[in-house]
Amino acid sequence: MSDTRNPDGPEQEPQKTDHSYDGIEEYDNPLPGWWKWIFLGSIAFSPLYLMYFHGGASGRSVEDIYNVALADNTRLQFAEIGELEPDADTIVEYMHKPSWVKVGQSVFRTNCISCHGREGEGQVGPNLTDQVYKNVKKIEDIAMVINNGAGGGAMPKWSNRLHPNEVVLVSAYVASLRGQDLPSARPAEGNKIAEWPEMKEEDKVEDESDSENPKSEEASE
Amino acid sequence: MATASGPHDAAKSSQSTNASSRSLSDDQFSYDDAIVRMFVGATILWAVVATLAGVIVAALLVMPSLSGGLEWLSFGRLRPVHTNAAIFAFAGNAIFAAVYYSTQRLCKARMWSDSLSRIHFWGWQLIIVSAAVSFPLGITQGREYAELEWPIDIAIAVIWLFVFGGNFLMTLVNRRERHMYVAIWFYIATIVTVAVLHVFNNLVVPAGWFKGYSVYAGVQDAFMQWWYGHNAVAFFLTTPFLGLMYYFLPKAAGRPVFSYRLSIIHFWSLVFIYIWAGPHHLHYTALPEWASTLGMLFSLMLWMPSWGGMINGLLTLRGAWHKVAADPVLKFFVVGITFYGMSTFEGPLLSIKAVNALSHYTDWTIAHVHSGALGWNGFMSFGMLYWLLPRLFQTKIWSEKLVSWHFWTGTMGILFYIVPIYAAGLMQGLMWRAMDDTGHLAYPDFIETTQSIVPLWWIRVAAGVLYMSGTLMLMVNAIMTWTKRPPVYEVPVYSAPPLASEYHDDAKPGTSSLEGAPVLEVGKKVDLFARMGWHRKWERLPIKFTVLVTAAVIIATLFELIPTFLIRSNVPTIATVQPYTPLELAGRHIYVSEGCYNCHSQMIRPMVAETKRYGEYSKPGEFIYDRPFQWGSRRIGPDLAREGGKQSSFWHWTHFENPELVSPGSVMPAFDHLLTSELNFEAIEPHVRAAAMLGAPYTEEEITGSADLARAQALKIAGDVVAQGGPANKQDVQAIALIAYLQRIGTDLFRTDEPEEAGATETEPAETEPAEAEVAVMVP
Repeated sequence: MSDTRNPDGPEQEPQKTDHSYDGIEEYDNPLPGWWKWIFLGSIAFSPLYLMYFHGGASGRSVEDIYNVALADNTRLQFAEIGELEPDADTIVEYMHKPSWVKVGQSVFRTNCISCHGREGEGQVGPNLTDQVYKNVKKIEDIAMVINNGAGGGAMPKWSNRLHPNEVVLVSAYVASLRGQDLPSARPAEGNKIAEWPEMKEEDKVEDESDSENPKSEEASE
Repeated sequence: MATASGPHDAAKSSQSTNASSRSLSDDQFSYDDAIVRMFVGATILWAVVATLAGVIVAALLVMPSLSGGLEWLSFGRLRPVHTNAAIFAFAGNAIFAAVYYSTQRLCKARMWSDSLSRIHFWGWQLIIVSAAVSFPLGITQGREYAELEWPIDIAIAVIWLFVFGGNFLMTLVNRRERHMYVAIWFYIATIVTVAVLHVFNNLVVPAGWFKGYSVYAGVQDAFMQWWYGHNAVAFFLTTPFLGLMYYFLPKAAGRPVFSYRLSIIHFWSLVFIYIWAGPHHLHYTALPEWASTLGMLFSLMLWMPSWGGMINGLLTLRGAWHKVAADPVLKFFVVGITFYGMSTFEGPLLSIKAVNALSHYTDWTIAHVHSGALGWNGFMSFGMLYWLLPRLFQTKIWSEKLVSWHFWTGTMGILFYIVPIYAAGLMQGLMWRAMDDTGHLAYPDFIETTQSIVPLWWIRVAAGVLYMSGTLMLMVNAIMTWTKRPPVYEVPVYSAPPLASEYHDDAKPGTSSLEGAPVLEVGKKVDLFARMGWHRKWERLPIKFTVLVTAAVIIATLFELIPTFLIRSNVPTIATVQPYTPLELAGRHIYVSEGCYNCHSQMIRPMVAETKRYGEYSKPGEFIYDRPFQWGSRRIGPDLAREGGKQSSFWHWTHFENPELVSPGSVMPAFDHLLTSELNFEAIEPHVRAAAMLGAPYTEEEITGSADLARAQALKIAGDVVAQGGPANKQDVQAIALIAYLQRIGTDLFRTDEPEEAGATETEPAETEPAEAEVAVMVP
């Protein structure tokens, strides 16, 4: 439709068609040029887009892009620490690394606060800030309860929802809450258990170096 | 109201447009304006009701306790009342008023049957009332804008297609104007397409009078529903209003339409392209990616066809802008068309996947639809009504000043609505995806993101009141104008010759203006084609025109629909996904009835910020037993696609009792009636039977024994609640069924094949439905 030869001068009254419906008339104006070209442009764009994203090249599907982003994210979170084991030494070690406790707190805020409260003070689930525990006797039991659940499903199992490192870090965060004794809607439940173990000497050295790490300071602001 | 009956003595009023050519063979006829008065009255009434319902649901979001604990008044049940009232009651009646007024005049013919017109009117109002009753009662399909259950759907199909459509088409056939004006084209497209959409989206297998199960499941149901949902916007809220604009705007402005050729091109491109765009509501979901891409590309192509209507509207006002300043009718039209232009620019923008990744599930969408609904549909209707009132009631409008007031409060209402809600959408969308530099969610607590936008929701309430007060001014003005009507309406009699059975195109034989110019023959042909003589012929053939529109719509539909349904790889089978147990089906029915989908999505998109918050992203194969799909479109609360096993059953119990107890700051209302209402176990069987009929592999024993199976599972869950610290003996209440369903959602993907913790009620692992590869193992 290359109907642009009628210069549509502003002073010139455009041509009317001979149509009249209930007194409504119609001009025979051509399609505005910009309108026509944007329309054609949007049509021309489509096959190009389609070929780029659906032409079979790998790495362009939503799933591929997601997998790359997920790997990047996992690296960003855990590249420094590798795979953590949910044992007492590891949990104690990370309990004393503020920047990683903060990561544990983030996991806690995403998944746990609907039952344990925003600060761990307890709602439907027990208060985590006091000195008594229901299903935990040793520090590594925290990770075990998180992984497998407890109380006949009152505490759901999280092993297929959280990354193993997230389990360790949120355990470290929960362990760090002990003794804050925040006011709770729930009565104290469970038994008093032994203090958490002390950190091992070699971990302490690492921890000092960790606290000098500028990145972690920035993160713990 | 006086029915229009043309007294003979009124023949003196000869406003006939071709009075000069009057001869003895001319037909004498009058127009049925009484039916227009009826639809105008209904439009105004429903305008007030729809906006009032909007104010109420907006208020419920900021004050969930406002419902007073009454289950009929929760947000989930009332939101469909608001949307359906706005679309089908207010906009619907406005459309009918416009069609009945303009079609008669554009065709120089009275509506074919006055009786059909009245059946249409009363039938439609009855449908609206039944919607307003059934939604608060929890009778709903749970699919947005198609919530009405199947008996009402059948009534709609009959009233719309046969009564309204038949009456309209017969009027076209009996017209006395040779050519159909562009407004008529848009009406044809509206009637045909809405009928097709409505019928094919609402095919269900009934499970009683108040419940039907969609014949489509999961991904396919989502596809059909948004094919319908998007084109309800296209063919209920766009094309009829363009028709309205093409008649009432040039009438009010007294100016010729800007471009006939633009009308043709934008009409056909709009009709053909719109129908493809539905999948843009499902970006990044389990819908196959190619469909989502087509949805986006056709949405982009739709930009100019939509703007064609805007240009033809605004440029028709060239040379009449001085009138706009003085005439409130034109002011309404100008603002309406401007909002049409804005929202049809924003639509393609939001359909771009990268933008949609941010906007989807947020208030951005809500702001977008309200700029369209309040601006375009509302203001075009108001403009038309103010133009019609003095003409229909044959007196001056009661108060010009009040019209002006309506215009300004309405405009302010729109702006105060959309600006804060755009801000809310952007804010919440950005908070959901924000990550800190350790790669974790910056706002892991969902409620924090909700609370941050609640102040903006308060502004919305005020804006809604403002807009609603405008509709009240309209109502007052209309009633006062009506009281000043003459004792008997004057019914002018017109005369025009009937259409001759043969028509000779006496227009000059097509000559290109390039004739004699040094261009190729083909250039001249193209030029001639571009002058649209071929289309002129179609405008004389209403049946052919209708068939062509239908073909355009259906062919475009089939291009997307056939692959979605036939290509198996679109929905890869997941071996561990099994049908719901009878109790879970009953729970799902409660989930749908309470309208949970109005606030909770069940669709996790493959984005890191999303999978970190909710869990593994949703796969197409997970939804094969979901009828209807419940993916949702707005996350007022968090996504529930992986809710199963995430909270304890007692947590859910407490949460229904009072969400504040476990989620301080939650805007969810209490559902404590579920904790006391008994579940009717015997009523579960029809649901299981319907699911079985649609292909879910239940054995006959499971179907007939569904009540017992459900009781056994309820006993187990009630036991869990007790073990976790909850009250005893609750196995007979509805909440237990809902908890059973919630604990099931999204868990099948991770199910390992060993039967999960053989519970106390391990009945029989029912064997085999030969056709299906997977065995139905009922794991209570």
